[in-house]
Amino acid sequence: MIEPPGSIIVVRNLTIGYGGNIVLDRLNFEVRRGEVFAILGTSGSGKSTLLKHMIGLYQPLSGEVLISGENLAAAEGPARLRILRKFGVMYQSSALFGSLTAVENVRLPLDEFTTLCDEAKDLIALSKLRLVGLESAAMKLPSDLSGGMQKRAAIARAIVLDPCILFLDEPSAGLDPITSAGLDALIRELAKGLGITFVMVTHELPSIYSVADRVIMLDPKARGIVAEGSPSWLREHATQPWVRNFLKREAA
Amino acid sequence: MPANEAPNLSVRWEVLKASEGAVLLTFRGDLDTSATPTVWQALEKELLGIEVSSLEIDAQHLAYCDSSGLALLYYLYTGRMTPGATVRISGLSPELQNILGSFSLDDFKALQGHHPVPRSLPVEVGAATTSLLRDLREQLEFIGEVTMDLAASVCRPRLMRWKEVFRVFEVAGVNALPIVALITMLVGMVIAFESAQPLEELGAQIMVAKLLGLVMTRELGPVMAAIMLAARSGSAFAAELGTMKVNEELNALQTMGLAPIQFLVVQRVMAGILLTPVLTMYAMYAGLLGGVPVLLFVCKFPLPMVLEEIQGSVQYGDLAEGLCKSLVFGTIVASVSCLRGLQTGVGPRAVGDSTTRSVVSSILLIILADGLIASITYTLRR
Repeated sequence: MIEPPGSIIVVRNLTIGYGGNIVLDRLNFEVRRGEVFAILGTSGSGKSTLLKHMIGLYQPLSGEVLISGENLAAAEGPARLRILRKFGVMYQSSALFGSLTAVENVRLPLDEFTTLCDEAKDLIALSKLRLVGLESAAMKLPSDLSGGMQKRAAIARAIVLDPCILFLDEPSAGLDPITSAGLDALIRELAKGLGITFVMVTHELPSIYSVADRVIMLDPKARGIVAEGSPSWLREHATQPWVRNFLKREAA
Repeated sequence: MPANEAPNLSVRWEVLKASEGAVLLTFRGDLDTSATPTVWQALEKELLGIEVSSLEIDAQHLAYCDSSGLALLYYLYTGRMTPGATVRISGLSPELQNILGSFSLDDFKALQGHHPVPRSLPVEVGAATTSLLRDLREQLEFIGEVTMDLAASVCRPRLMRWKEVFRVFEVAGVNALPIVALITMLVGMVIAFESAQPLEELGAQIMVAKLLGLVMTRELGPVMAAIMLAARSGSAFAAELGTMKVNEELNALQTMGLAPIQFLVVQRVMAGILLTPVLTMYAMYAGLLGGVPVLLFVCKFPLPMVLEEIQGSVQYGDLAEGLCKSLVFGTIVASVSCLRGLQTGVGPRAVGDSTTRSVVSSILLIILADGLIASITYTLRR
């Protein structure tokens, strides 16, 4: 399969669903290298389900997701592991291991996938925690961290193996506006400083305008993408009025 | 010193002694996770073997450098491999220079120096005693509250959510029948086998029937049924209530004006009290059923004789003793499991801990109660 130039993720004719129900039908879109890409939609439109298909947690009914030209769903063994190493994921609930401290959580992938010495692993884990502003909370357990700190620690864990793509599931959900803005700033820094491509599922409008270069809008009725483009352009020029209302936070 | 030519490595490095104590270290290629561990070890050996007063690291020809490579550069930069030397890095791209800024020796030292302080023995003993006393107080409060609510529900049956009682009855009782039958049949069979041989030596093999009848009715029927109830259903009660507590469902009940004990616990305790005698009767029969084939086919006694022996040995009093025990055991298992569920703390291991505590406490209390009842009935029978 030939990858379009500049694209790091290509979704082709992807149909997803469960138990005979089709949630999203024949989706086609691309994520460009280095951009912050957001998947938007109303509740129940299949945003998180799409994300879980993109990271290979679920098998699609048909179609494929190519990450750097490789199909994760069809890969097995070492090939699958090689693709998985290309991206990190931050889950909505942070999914930090509760019995490990923040630094142990971040160190875990290094322990499992590298042969580095302990000093190197500690230095890297601590540098990632410093990148997300959590160096002083390294020895704390997740239960002793606030929601925003947990999300930052989850980002530190997701980037510890230097992935080129980072998937974020609702990064701002449940956070206060100040913490949420701090997280947006971190996403911008990481995208610019480390060249990481971001794919995020969200419906936090301030976050979308603050960080997203391009968005797609999912519609549960159409079971597909109804709009694609930069958020500020779509707010004024989307053909569907409800997309404009969504981006202006106005009732339909 | 010649450039390192290690095969299969994506990076090459060269250690050049420029003048007295001054060393130039040059990297070429990709310093990534696969290459760094080897480079790290090799450099540690090379640099510790020579005297270095100043180290210049030339990173200009590094095509790629990931976090592990930067960790190595930082380790070198902080003089960990060349103690006392001045270190300078040149040729690093501004992006990598930026990320290198996120490494910190202070953070590293803080982590290395962090050792949890162990508590002294008196503090440990004090904490354990306080926790034990608190647990006892909570148990007493819980028993009082459950008893009051149960009495209220018995006086006014409309207060009881009978649908939930029947659901628990089905889940914890009816669905447990196959496993209870299997285990107690096997236990009955083992007892018959183990006692047949020594009794044969005494010429009293027919006493196996008597032994089996008494043991299954008075002791093993109630105890086995209760232990299986604790392991199978008590643990489920604790996990269910524990998860509800973690998910703040118990808080939701309280703010709706519903007491968790009245809403969740009383039904389970009522179901436990009602189903344990039934389950015990079933276990008694299953145990006998497991032992009878041994008497028929191994000891070669005719069926009417075996049945007559069992009927003759087991009195109504023995059955009543077994059923009374089962009532006590059922109450213990259901209430202790619910209490442990409600006591669930915070953290990822909380529900698991509650489940373990529910099974351990239930079995311990079953055995204690069994011993107590056995000694009382022994005294009464004399």
